[in-house]
Amino acid sequence: MYLVRRAWAELKNEVLVLPSRTAVLVWVLALLALPWVYGDAYVLRILTMTCLFAIFAASWDLLAGYTGQVNFGHALYFGAGAYASALLSLRLGITPWATIWAGAAVAAFFGFASGYLVLRLRGSYLSLATLAFPLIALGILFAFPDFSGGELGISGLRRLAMTPLANYYIAALSMLVVVFGLWALGDSKFGIVLHAIRDDEVAARASGINTPRYKLVVFSIAGAAAGFSGALFAHYLRVAGPSTLEVALSFQVVIWSIFGGLATGYGPVAAVFLLYPLTEWLGSFRNFGELRLLAFALIVLVVLLFMPRGLAPWVRDKIEAQCPRCKQRNGAWRRACRLCGAPLKPQVSRSQGLVGHQ
Amino acid sequence: MIRTAILATALLAASTSFAQSTIKIAILGPMAFVQGEHHWNGAQMARDEINKAGGINVDGKKMRVELVRADTNEIQSVPDATNAVERVITRDKADVLVGGFRSEAVLAMQEVAMDYKKLFLGVGAAHSKLGLNVEQSYDRYKYWFRVSPTKDVDLARTLFAVMNSIGEQIRKDLKTDTPKVAILAEKAVWTEGLIAAAQKNLPAMKMQVVGLWQPSAIATDVTAELSAIDRSGAQIVFTILSGPVGISVGRQMGERNMKAVAWGINVEGQKEEFWQAAAGKAQFVSTLDTYAEVEYTPKTMTFVRAYKARFGKAPTYTAATYDAIMILKDAIEKQGTLNADKIVAHIEKSEHVGTGAVATFDKRHDLVWAVGKTSGIAVQWQDGKKVPFWPPQVKGMHPFKMPAQ
Amino acid sequence: MLQDILVTGLVNGGVYALLAIGFSLIFGVARIVNIAHTAFYMLAAYCFYALLVKAQFGFVTAALISVGGVTAVSVLCYRLVIEPVREHEAAVLIATIALALVFQELMLLSFGGHYLGIPSTLEGGVRVLGVSIPYQRMLILAVAAAMLVVVWFVLYRTRMGLAIRATANDLEVANLMGINVHRVAMVTVAISVSLAAVAGVVVAPVFVVDPFMWLAPLVTMLAIVVLGGLGSMKGSLIGAIAIGYIEAITVFALPAGAYLKGAVALAIMVAVLLVRPEGLFGVAFEEER
Repeated sequence: MYLVRRAWAELKNEVLVLPSRTAVLVWVLALLALPWVYGDAYVLRILTMTCLFAIFAASWDLLAGYTGQVNFGHALYFGAGAYASALLSLRLGITPWATIWAGAAVAAFFGFASGYLVLRLRGSYLSLATLAFPLIALGILFAFPDFSGGELGISGLRRLAMTPLANYYIAALSMLVVVFGLWALGDSKFGIVLHAIRDDEVAARASGINTPRYKLVVFSIAGAAAGFSGALFAHYLRVAGPSTLEVALSFQVVIWSIFGGLATGYGPVAAVFLLYPLTEWLGSFRNFGELRLLAFALIVLVVLLFMPRGLAPWVRDKIEAQCPRCKQRNGAWRRACRLCGAPLKPQVSRSQGLVGHQ
Repeated sequence: MIRTAILATALLAASTSFAQSTIKIAILGPMAFVQGEHHWNGAQMARDEINKAGGINVDGKKMRVELVRADTNEIQSVPDATNAVERVITRDKADVLVGGFRSEAVLAMQEVAMDYKKLFLGVGAAHSKLGLNVEQSYDRYKYWFRVSPTKDVDLARTLFAVMNSIGEQIRKDLKTDTPKVAILAEKAVWTEGLIAAAQKNLPAMKMQVVGLWQPSAIATDVTAELSAIDRSGAQIVFTILSGPVGISVGRQMGERNMKAVAWGINVEGQKEEFWQAAAGKAQFVSTLDTYAEVEYTPKTMTFVRAYKARFGKAPTYTAATYDAIMILKDAIEKQGTLNADKIVAHIEKSEHVGTGAVATFDKRHDLVWAVGKTSGIAVQWQDGKKVPFWPPQVKGMHPFKMPAQ
Repeated sequence: MLQDILVTGLVNGGVYALLAIGFSLIFGVARIVNIAHTAFYMLAAYCFYALLVKAQFGFVTAALISVGGVTAVSVLCYRLVIEPVREHEAAVLIATIALALVFQELMLLSFGGHYLGIPSTLEGGVRVLGVSIPYQRMLILAVAAAMLVVVWFVLYRTRMGLAIRATANDLEVANLMGINVHRVAMVTVAISVSLAAVAGVVVAPVFVVDPFMWLAPLVTMLAIVVLGGLGSMKGSLIGAIAIGYIEAITVFALPAGAYLKGAVALAIMVAVLLVRPEGLFGVAFEEER
């Protein structure tokens, strides 16, 4: 009984006070409850895909958003995870439950290796050099068709689960665990270092931070998460093909994440949950299904004009306000901070408001 | 299991006059692209022909055909293609699926269709792995048939038969004993068998292989490859190309005034738009093809003419959705049921005279290869027209021409 | 074989150079990684096709309208989409990607997924050292050279060029010196895209026009400018010729591996970056850290 009351108190005081946290809670509960309310196979398939791509987008955010390593070739890790898991489970007959971890490990290695190669590069050089990696990998795959299946990829993979429901739960739970893990990492002390590296790498190094080591660790973690989603994707579709390494996929994740809001963790996930079903829904219209990508691109462009920092930060600023004194977040309707009691909207005259910026 | 249960109820309902009155056929293809366009056109022709005659006769009851147009977007995204399959099965309640083009996507689409035990008549993807699935685990994949094209391995037989006749012509015209052949194949798994066969068979056919060049399927520039081929003195360029590189090869060979003639598979060269795409430079490029205005099968001529009259262009091989639907119609009428298992059993045994081939299926549910039945025809581009020149026994063939030496 | 490599490499390098200069310019001045650069190239190619083949205009009229029209479109896009989000680097990035997708889909809708061919401006060809070169390729080389001279002239011999270089060097100081940096950025966009449009008009006839034709040259072009050093004209030129030769050598040395020419070029780019992180002729931007 005590535990229940304690949990309720925690819930009330920590979660329900903030609209964003409430929204996340509702979203998690909705994800878990959905199949019981509306277990349509088609909807479950779309959401399974959405969950897999959400992991992918969140992993890109850790690398590009938090650490500032704007990777244009993130599909490399997705593809590495897909191919590694596929090859191991098909050639060696290992259960996919084990090989998805191997896929993540291989992708982590690829993350480490590519991170090592671009360690000295910055900004646009880094983006453009990383763009090359999946394309080089594609060339290698085509050079060894006996091993990789060439343009066809590796097919006939075993599934993790047979029913759409089970597949959905595997994807949804993995997504929740990985995304919350990445978010917690970004919010930890480790994450603060990453922010520092992004904002000013030289200053970070001057403060005694071994920035190359941090960058390599982040490349490996992001690679592992992306590879994990790639491996799940391969076993879900039962094919791991060259399309997992395409430039289009690398660009797609860039669009999703920036659209959602960089360096937030939840932004890219929200964007995938919004945009992926939306494009699929647009595509389901028989007469203008072919317009889906156009509509997608236009929506992204228009939304960007109004929310240049991305969707999630914009929404969050609308529904929440930051306390000017203790920097804690509050619901936008509050007058005073819920923790320190300072007034949230200080009464300043117009002239003061123009000069001061805190 | 669920599928059969649903069908059983449907059939039960049919007998009690409360029934679905249409047969829903989903046409899956990349609708923004040429392949999908022909998928859809061919299917429309079949639908209109069937519905004009009152529909498909299912055990004494006429059922009309309803097409569901599904854009798979498979050229751009494999997941989109699987989503489209799931949608037409669970949402649109399609009874049969027809279409598919990109092999990697079709493999994934096949999985979804087989999960629901839906009949899936493939039209477009050539990869032998699709049929291998049927052989290896029959119970799961038996609902898959490949109506067009013939599987990649069988293509080789046609290619060498034609190569032989071209070789004879070159020996006569150029007075050489061993014509030189350069193999220009895109780098892909499906070309591997053909390359190996060429390297083995051509010397046996008294032809000399001067080299193998393998550009990417999407290469836009093959000048380096072509100048190397020029240097090698080849008289025949044996092309094995499915991607847009086929256009670049045709055009740039013309621009360089190459003495060699191109024969082989050039999927782009099968399309009506090829001549324009190569800016009128692809003189004498020849390729294996499915449709032409000849009496290949008794139905070919009528179909091609009707198609041209209706859509203003000649059909390419994905228009064999027409044949797929007609095969389905035959099977349903003969069996008097929509039961997928019975339809499968029927298609396996029957021979169907289609517009692009006389179709019988082997244990992989692939077309059985035979000259004049499923071998296809060979065509050559001459002054802006695609002219058929092989097999010689078919009426309406023209002579094969060589570039001026 | 050596003469084949020499000629083919140079001719293909010219094609790449024409594409790379414009991209390099806009990055050097406005620090915009314009993913849509080759999409403008595609747009010009389609425009040229429509005017020349469909509307039966002459070569010169069609070319002028295409270049002018595409440049106007680019300025419009810049004002509407890029400028409002200029301060947000990430937003600019995906705005250009989204723009490229919009153009791709628009072309897909209006022209379909067909491959189209544009007739050569100059028919026929010439044999140099026993290697056959179509005149169109010579034209591309000539146009690339002419464009380089024009860009050099604009940058180093005009007041506007001075302003552009000043802005490239230090945006804030240039702003304080009374240079209208917004206008400079816009002019740079116009020059850069018009270069892409010129490329679309003269290069597209040797390739195939389709809605995805922007992706392959985009990757090659990025490899070139990174290899040569971002923002450096000289670097782009040398990078382009280098990539042209690398590809030619790959094809001739390894005929069965011709499909690897792109991958080899990219691998060499990465290798160069490992040794010189700012490319061959790039400037290390110290203040940007």
